[in-house]
Amino acid sequence: MPKAQNNRTASQNRSAGSEFWAGVCEEVPLIFGVVPFGLVFGVLGIESGLTPWQTILMSSILFGGASQIVFAQLWAAGVPALIVGGSVCVINLRHVLYSASIAAYLRHLPLRWRILLGYLLTDEAYAISIRRLQHEPPGPNQHFHLLGSGMLLWVSWQFATIFGVLVGGTIPDSWSLSFAIPLTFIAVVAPILKTRADLAAVMTAGTIAIIGQPLPWNSWLIIAAICGILAGWLVSRLNHQAGATS
Amino acid sequence: MIWFIMIATGLFTFATRFIMLSNGISNRPPPWLVDALGFVPIAVLTAIIVPAILLDPADQTIALWDNPRLFAAALAIIAALVTRQMITTIGVGLVALWILQWAM
Repeated sequence: MPKAQNNRTASQNRSAGSEFWAGVCEEVPLIFGVVPFGLVFGVLGIESGLTPWQTILMSSILFGGASQIVFAQLWAAGVPALIVGGSVCVINLRHVLYSASIAAYLRHLPLRWRILLGYLLTDEAYAISIRRLQHEPPGPNQHFHLLGSGMLLWVSWQFATIFGVLVGGTIPDSWSLSFAIPLTFIAVVAPILKTRADLAAVMTAGTIAIIGQPLPWNSWLIIAAICGILAGWLVSRLNHQAGATS
Repeated sequence: MIWFIMIATGLFTFATRFIMLSNGISNRPPPWLVDALGFVPIAVLTAIIVPAILLDPADQTIALWDNPRLFAAALAIIAALVTRQMITTIGVGLVALWILQWAM
């Protein structure tokens, strides 16, 4: 496309570079949460008995913070592989939602683009780029926004993991750095609790996670998660029905 | 074995991200499934948070009044609700834990 024409319709037709750069810049504030998280994962991976390579490569292969933490913790506890795998899979099921919500904007792209952007579709990149896709005028290069936010997140996550692996042994236990894991999740969960159904999910999952501790193979996590999802879903159904009949 | 699990879960995770971008599936998932998946993050993360706060790391028993993690987490929850910022929440929680561990 000639440059002059490109400039004339700048608001609708931003260049690939400016979309990419916007994605990178808008993602920056989230990096302040992602870097300590990746650092903690790097430290935890080594503490859990994973090798440095296993810890570092898990950040590329899984590329999902909560699931990597759970993987390392369950693996360290000697849990059967099937339970480790099942727990990781349940945690990552949420991405189907992101994929569904962003599909309309990406489906026309060539396969290699959809594979790349699918791989980069994390909580944080989705949260930033869906705003641009939904609320700003569409453009032929809009997918570069997700490429920018996703790439920045990917690079930050890998460097944070590597840094955590390298410095892990030198951080004293008295710093209680592993406490940053529940804190990170509190920062995610607390602000998004809105409905009674959310509360039902949280109360159920939290209660079963405690009373289920004696269950074999650390299966309390996957059971608590599934029961929490069911409880939230049931209450939201009941609310819908009550709303429909009243 | 660990590499096998890692790669298998990695492929599954990629599939969850890619599935709706593939041209094989042309519709959105059914509404009941969207509803249910919406509860995945809070249910999973709560199941990780609660034992990490309530159980004594030494012997895995429930600790309440003599548990600095519980009070630090309560302050972090307030920080999360007020500021909605991850970095502030982590900072408040960690500093509170350090002070409480020193004082208790």
